[in-house]
Amino acid sequence: MEVADHKTQSLENGQAAEEEVDEIENDNVLQFMDSMDAYLTLVHSLSSTLRQGWLDLASARHSMGAYRLNTALLDHTSHPAATSLLVDEGKVDSVEPHFTLCKWRSSGNEKLLLGEEQSSHDKSHPQLRHRGATLLSEEKTSFENKASCEIDDQVQKERSKSLSVFGTLVSPKLRAAQLSFETALETLVEIANTRSEMLRAFDKVNQKSGGSKD
Amino acid sequence: MANRNQIPTSNSALIAMIADEDTVVGFLLAGVGNVDLRRKTNYLIVDSKTTVKQVEDAFKEFTTREDIAVILISQYVANMIRFLVDSYSKPVPAILEIPSKDHPYDPAHDSILSRVKYLFSAESVASGRR
Repeated sequence: MEVADHKTQSLENGQAAEEEVDEIENDNVLQFMDSMDAYLTLVHSLSSTLRQGWLDLASARHSMGAYRLNTALLDHTSHPAATSLLVDEGKVDSVEPHFTLCKWRSSGNEKLLLGEEQSSHDKSHPQLRHRGATLLSEEKTSFENKASCEIDDQVQKERSKSLSVFGTLVSPKLRAAQLSFETALETLVEIANTRSEMLRAFDKVNQKSGGSKD
Repeated sequence: MANRNQIPTSNSALIAMIADEDTVVGFLLAGVGNVDLRRKTNYLIVDSKTTVKQVEDAFKEFTTREDIAVILISQYVANMIRFLVDSYSKPVPAILEIPSKDHPYDPAHDSILSRVKYLFSAESVASGRR
């Protein structure tokens, strides 16, 4: 009688463990399907954004002339990229890297952005109250606004510098094309991160199906 | 959305491009162009005169450079060196196939989707049944 009870309990434990494994497998498959769906949606969005950018470029070429908008005018002197990526390869529980877009960075921009970081750090560590605290907070807010305006000015300067390769006066369509391709870059970074998630989920599903075949 | 700024750190990397003229010009307008002291660029403009060897060399160069994190390659250009693109498996630089003006994106040729599509094949479904 006791042996029968023990056998029944082992069977129940085994079934519970199997159900748990099935649930984890289902979660992995769902995660993979979700990330694949997100990847395809982002690629579709990228296609639309790029199409708009090409259209704007074609319009700019039509108004400015093909001789003013071609690759012969590109700057081949040494210069760094104003837009780059930050790569985080040390994400927890992940072999795949994570990318962050860093747009329109210049040496002036860095100093201003570091100043912004300092002011946001100060917010999280409030100082002791003393006389003139209100004045101090007003001065901080105006400093932050000034920093933000200066960053925007720097970004506009970098954008103009990029456009100036094709002349001082450029078509508004060329500016529109620049914004379209900036948006496309943001979408591409999202695609890169979604791709990483998809591959990570795929590896998990693959491991399980490879283990079950054995 | 186009006005977001980021705080830079020391591990910044470039975006490389192997694409047609309009795509490269567009992304250069967005500020991704880089020319180093040896006048080496992080892009290759592919036109009717570009050979497969040139595309191969550019792909191999960009995938071995440590300062490049993402390579954008037009899908029709990737099809010219499909064997190289499909055999590449490192996480960085990440290879992203993008559409071009004259060749829309085809998911059937995407190397990442090709890697995972076998999960949806009839054989894999049959082998998973118990």
